[in-house]
Amino acid sequence: MLRMRRKRVCQFCQTNEDHIDFKEERKLVRFLTEQGKIIPRHTSGTCAKHQRQLATAIKRARHLAIIPYVTDFTR
Amino acid sequence: MAIYESVFIVDSLVAPNEIEAILQRLSSIITDHNGTVRKIDKWGKRRLAYEIEKKQYGYYIALEFEVDASTNLPKQLEYEFNFNDKVMRFLTYRYDKNKLRAMAKEQKETEEVTSETSSVKETENKPVAPAESAAEEKTSAEQDSPNEQTEENV
Ligand SMILES: [Zn+2]
Repeated sequence: MLRMRRKRVCQFCQTNEDHIDFKEERKLVRFLTEQGKIIPRHTSGTCAKHQRQLATAIKRARHLAIIPYVTDFTR
Repeated sequence: MAIYESVFIVDSLVAPNEIEAILQRLSSIITDHNGTVRKIDKWGKRRLAYEIEKKQYGYYIALEFEVDASTNLPKQLEYEFNFNDKVMRFLTYRYDKNKLRAMAKEQKETEEVTSETSSVKETENKPVAPAESAAEEKTSAEQDSPNEQTEENV
């Protein structure tokens, strides 16, 4: 966690991606906490532009049951 | 003209001919609005991330179409999806400028590839995936080393 804090680089800017697709479940999951929440920008290092796109993609994926809204660990 | 995509989930137990009937109906609604169906992509049966209507699986279909942005076609499709009780979930969205740019880039790349000979295409396509993963490894290695250095300096 500390390491991520120190060097904050937007992963989408690095790969030069101009579109975040909500269908790519495995890519989106990297930006979710274990409970399924969106990881904030200051933790993941994503730039504002891509965080907005990412949030839209995640919300669409949730609606279509591609990724969960919440992952409940209560047993 | 604007490009839209409707992704919808139908009950996974629905017969294939019934799915075709749904697609026919949707296509006719699109053509009635002077639109064109660009692509029908059946993702097939998938496990849902959460239960919808007490079901764990759904059959996903993506329908890409082009129509004038001034029509109320997305609204009409919404009525149709709501009316059909085989449809469990749907999402219609318009391609934004980022998606359109990505599509244009992709098209340009495929055009370049097809203009070359098929043998070149094969050799060109294969190294793409390993090169990408190698680049990823490199960046993670780069991220590690500066941190170690700063710790030493302090
Ligand atoms: Zn970025």
